[in-house]
Amino acid sequence: MYDLVTMMASMVANGNRDGQSLVLKGVDPETCMIVFKNHWAQVVKILEKHDPLRSSSTLPSLSVINLSAGSSGGPRFGPIPGDEASAVQNYVEHMLFLLMEEESGQAGAMGPILEFVVMENVMERLFVWSLRREFTDDMKLEQLKMYEMLVGQARQPLLHHKPILRPLIMLLSSCSGMAAPAVEAELVLLLNQLCCVLAKDPSILELFFHTSEDQGATNFLIFSLLIPFIHREGTVGQQARDALLLIMSLSAENERVAKHIAENTYFCPVLATGLSGLYSSLPTKLEVPSEEWHCLHKEDWLKTPSLVQFLNSLEFCNAVIQVAHPDIRDQLVSYIYNGFLVPVLAPALHKLTLEEVMTTTAYLDLFLRSVSEPALLQTFLSFILLHRHESVHILDTLVSRINTPFQLGTVSLALFRTLIGLYCEDVMLQLVLRYLIPCNHMMLSQRRVVRERDCYSVSAAKILALTPSCCSPDRSPPPLRQLDSILFSKGAETANNTDTAEENESFPEEDDDNSCTIGSEIYLDVSYLHYLYDARLSISSCMRACQVWSAPYDGEEPPPEKYQPGVLEEPGLKSRQTQITLKRVPQPLVQRPQPCPPPSTEPPSVNQLELEWDDSYDACPVQTAEASVESKSPQPPPAEPPKHIQEMRRTAIMLVKGSYIEENEFQDDVMVYDLVAKKDARDVEHGKNKPNGTKSEDSQPAPAEVPLKNGLSVTLPTAVMADNGKNNLDTKAKGQTDCNSNLQNTTAAELGDDLLAQYEELIRTLDTQAVGKLVKADGETKKPVTPVEEKEEEEEMDFTSFSAETPEPEKLQSPFGTKLLSGSTSRSYSVPFTGPFVSVLLSRLENMLSNSLYVNLLLTGILAQLAAYPQPLLRSFLLNTNLVFQPTVRSLYQVLATVKNQIEELAATRKDFPELITTAQHWLLARETSFMAADKNSSSGSTHGETARILKNSPPPKPKAISLDQTEVFATVLFTEFLKELAAIAQEHSILSYIPMEE
Amino acid sequence: MNLNPFWSMSANTSRKQRPDNEEQSGHGEQRASPARLSFGKKQLPPIPKNAAPITKPASLGTPVQSANGTHASYGPFYLEYSLLAEFTLVIKQKLPGIYVQPSYKSALMWFGVIFIRHGLYQDGVFKFTVYIPDNYPDGECPKLVFDIPVFHPLVDPVSGELDVRRAFTKWRRNHNHIWQVLMYARTIFYKINTTEPLNPEAAVLYEKDVQLFKSKVVDSVKLCNSHLFDQPKIDDPYAISFSPWNPAVHEEAKERMFTYKRRPEDHHKGTQVSGLSWVKPGSTQPFSKDDSPSQS
Repeated sequence: MYDLVTMMASMVANGNRDGQSLVLKGVDPETCMIVFKNHWAQVVKILEKHDPLRSSSTLPSLSVINLSAGSSGGPRFGPIPGDEASAVQNYVEHMLFLLMEEESGQAGAMGPILEFVVMENVMERLFVWSLRREFTDDMKLEQLKMYEMLVGQARQPLLHHKPILRPLIMLLSSCSGMAAPAVEAELVLLLNQLCCVLAKDPSILELFFHTSEDQGATNFLIFSLLIPFIHREGTVGQQARDALLLIMSLSAENERVAKHIAENTYFCPVLATGLSGLYSSLPTKLEVPSEEWHCLHKEDWLKTPSLVQFLNSLEFCNAVIQVAHPDIRDQLVSYIYNGFLVPVLAPALHKLTLEEVMTTTAYLDLFLRSVSEPALLQTFLSFILLHRHESVHILDTLVSRINTPFQLGTVSLALFRTLIGLYCEDVMLQLVLRYLIPCNHMMLSQRRVVRERDCYSVSAAKILALTPSCCSPDRSPPPLRQLDSILFSKGAETANNTDTAEENESFPEEDDDNSCTIGSEIYLDVSYLHYLYDARLSISSCMRACQVWSAPYDGEEPPPEKYQPGVLEEPGLKSRQTQITLKRVPQPLVQRPQPCPPPSTEPPSVNQLELEWDDSYDACPVQTAEASVESKSPQPPPAEPPKHIQEMRRTAIMLVKGSYIEENEFQDDVMVYDLVAKKDARDVEHGKNKPNGTKSEDSQPAPAEVPLKNGLSVTLPTAVMADNGKNNLDTKAKGQTDCNSNLQNTTAAELGDDLLAQYEELIRTLDTQAVGKLVKADGETKKPVTPVEEKEEEEEMDFTSFSAETPEPEKLQSPFGTKLLSGSTSRSYSVPFTGPFVSVLLSRLENMLSNSLYVNLLLTGILAQLAAYPQPLLRSFLLNTNLVFQPTVRSLYQVLATVKNQIEELAATRKDFPELITTAQHWLLARETSFMAADKNSSSGSTHGETARILKNSPPPKPKAISLDQTEVFATVLFTEFLKELAAIAQEHSILSYIPMEE
Repeated sequence: MNLNPFWSMSANTSRKQRPDNEEQSGHGEQRASPARLSFGKKQLPPIPKNAAPITKPASLGTPVQSANGTHASYGPFYLEYSLLAEFTLVIKQKLPGIYVQPSYKSALMWFGVIFIRHGLYQDGVFKFTVYIPDNYPDGECPKLVFDIPVFHPLVDPVSGELDVRRAFTKWRRNHNHIWQVLMYARTIFYKINTTEPLNPEAAVLYEKDVQLFKSKVVDSVKLCNSHLFDQPKIDDPYAISFSPWNPAVHEEAKERMFTYKRRPEDHHKGTQVSGLSWVKPGSTQPFSKDDSPSQS
């Protein structure tokens, strides 16, 4: 008998610690049982000897069974001798090993050892024993490992049995709170294993709930214990997140789990506000590696650990939203909106310096590229499109920044490239389409042209005809003049003599080149074939993506008449936005009556232009906050986080910092389980009602939206938001808020002013420089030859162009177009306008010659992507050169013509221009080739556009005999290529848009 | 049931795959010059390895100035795309009983077949070829030549050419399209016109002895159908050829043709759509849809 014991002991020592499972082959179950009982008897002897409660027997929750009555003397108190402790430890190890290795009995019945363990309540008594001794980290570790072994390797299901489950839960409870890293690691490992078991056998889930219910609390301990590790770095964090994801996917099928998580846990607030916490540790200023840098690539963010951690958490949110129950998903999404985007990201986008704002923009772009779940994307996008920061839409602010010089403008362009690449109807609607829907940008008679197809590539031809003479294929020097021989056949020649044709046309199948010619040959610009190929791919993927859109945007649907400007004020929009705002407010932890928004009356005729128009002006700097607030009193106030989020935020922040602090402290003989149960119960209440201390003394009935406490704004200064009194707050609260928000508003407004003033200054200087440069180069003032009547203001700033083209006499000539926007009424909507986004893009394009190469690459990339959209409104606006626009509307073609003229004038004054062009072509080509090679090596396909790839940060070869400062030379080359790109897109549109989608 | 159960039509490729032609030429080109494997944007024409200038002058007696009057290099592209556009128009028209397929060798030559389902020419299956002038769309109207001269007043009994010009005295760009020619080719078999015939015999018979005319037509239809399985007159990978019904080959294709109609509904469920929209139909407000995105 003892031989067997020693053998097992060595097996335990050698085998199991390595995770190898040993099989007690040849040892019959009866022997094992005897050994087990024997050990247990020894253990019980020691246990009882030290049981302080034996006499008083006040252990209500533990049933102490006197196995061997009278085997020991009276209870002894004091420390347990070490030899006895290690003896127990030894026995227990052997016992567990036996239990682990036991096969389940007939038809899934318990094996005899398990049955014995259950009957004798072995596990629970062992746990109490370990509590009796000093419950050190070492003890916890030991116990955790014990269970980890059992859960992970047992051959029969153990967790179904309460006598095993309960002590496990007690052990887990005792592990909440601070612990040594080793304990934490072991705890998370065990939890992870438990989750795996749960995922395989969801029936155990109920048991976890029931077990805690005995103690009067609804509780899902495994889950709560994992929460503090959500944002943890390294393996522990990863294991915890994996485990949580398992529970999340369980929640999708188990209403109860979902309900519990959504209503009784901090999961969603911790997750969302954790993002805020992690965000705050990101570098506020990124180092820009080079001028061409415009967005965060993987190589960039891998170098920043805090960014990696943030992205891990964001990715986790994304995964949760993907698998979790809709309730959890909705809750999480609204916490992210109200707990991260609005209070943290919005102010960060409005920081003081260009660098900070640029950095935030780059982060936002990266986040958008990292998120894939539609629900989460929707959250980010509605933040960008609908949220107002200091009464200005985020989108308008972002659009206005495209025109800022330096890196911010470039990074903003990259952000919009990402946005446009999402194929999102809502984005495109806000950016471009809604300005085109009324069809005011074209002559009335032209509306039918919108849907017309360009059968004979007339537009492509007109676009290509803009090719500057210095870049014409005919004039290119030999090496670049790759007019390869694509052989074109003329079928007509065979028409009259089919017989001879039959003989002549021997057509070898293996003849794979293009020599399948019948007629004479024509030489082609072969690179154009590649543009056609690209255009085809780009348009068809765009068409496929846009199949989910709600309308074709073809000039008929949505009907332009319905959206004529100035006809009807639309109440729908406002209520709609209010509704959205409210919808964003997360579900309270406990259901409470919610002030219902009036059901939005569907807008029968919408004039959203008006409102949006204002916004674009609001983005302008000089406007005072007060004025705008007053004039816009009916506007929906910005979303504010409900009170309980704010409360939780504090807790959550602590959690993020790694201390899940609860009040409980373990004392040796406290009823652990009761304590845990009470704590849980309190947690629930805590969530339900007020937070603690000061707050709960507040006798207010506390409606849903109570202003933030100052205390919070200390931890999260950015979280404070204006409350415009959307709801019926009582006056006291309101006054408080107003104070608060006013304070914030003023500072913020000042800061904003400051920032924007900076931009203005920069733009002013830069633009004059740019213009001066050109003028100098030209030697004379440039005269646009295109039909467009250029206003001088256009040169100066983006927003000017919106207003400057107003033909009315009341046109406001403010140089920066900022002061004229006192209210919506000042704007006449009969003035055609294609939207700030298009205007900004076109005005930057017009300055192509002074833009850096990298800006131009992004700019043309964005325009090409826009042109690839199949919606006839957009397609006709950008590509149809036959469409007659209103005189005040600038078209892409007009701008291109202006640029062409600039180039021609430039080329005329510089003799070395053709040489420079050739050099630049060579350099760009070499660069392209090197990127291609690099791209092939790193097989990871970037989904975000070719230009992004081209702009990647590998060092370009040094251009010979040409400096990158000679932007006009590079711009000329790029311009020519851009024309080909556009023409190719136009041509592909003429055939693709009419073929029913197949694939 | 449109298809005669005894035979099936099999073009070498399905007729809707015209774009293949384009792609193939693209690929072929690529293979010819390996330096140009990339399809990057803003791409410049690559430098040939030996950097030897191509000496052939661009004007090799070819009418280089295209209809649009821009760079000669792009003229062929305009022509090609004009014809592609015409072809997509044909598809869009869904002309009953008419199938066409541009040739592999030239976009200016289209193969076609027309099925006559009732009337005098009932059960006729006539293969034809359309020849488009290379100065399209500014030239004359396309020619349509039947493989086997059908007995018809407007079809040349020797060459098989249909008198198209009477319908399109002057070919006007933007107004005239190739589908109209095809449509016309179909109409002549239902409404017989005998004025200024290319086949006077047929015209006279139709006027004087309809019965004889009818029997000649029946003979002609029989003749045409008896040559149905012949090799295509013009050797081209995309020429339309017929073969007897072979379940091993055709059953699956037939199956696919019928399931294709049901696809649009499956489309939204099955395929992963990359686009996003939360706009409620009929609204122009972003995020106006009631349901959240992934619940749909």
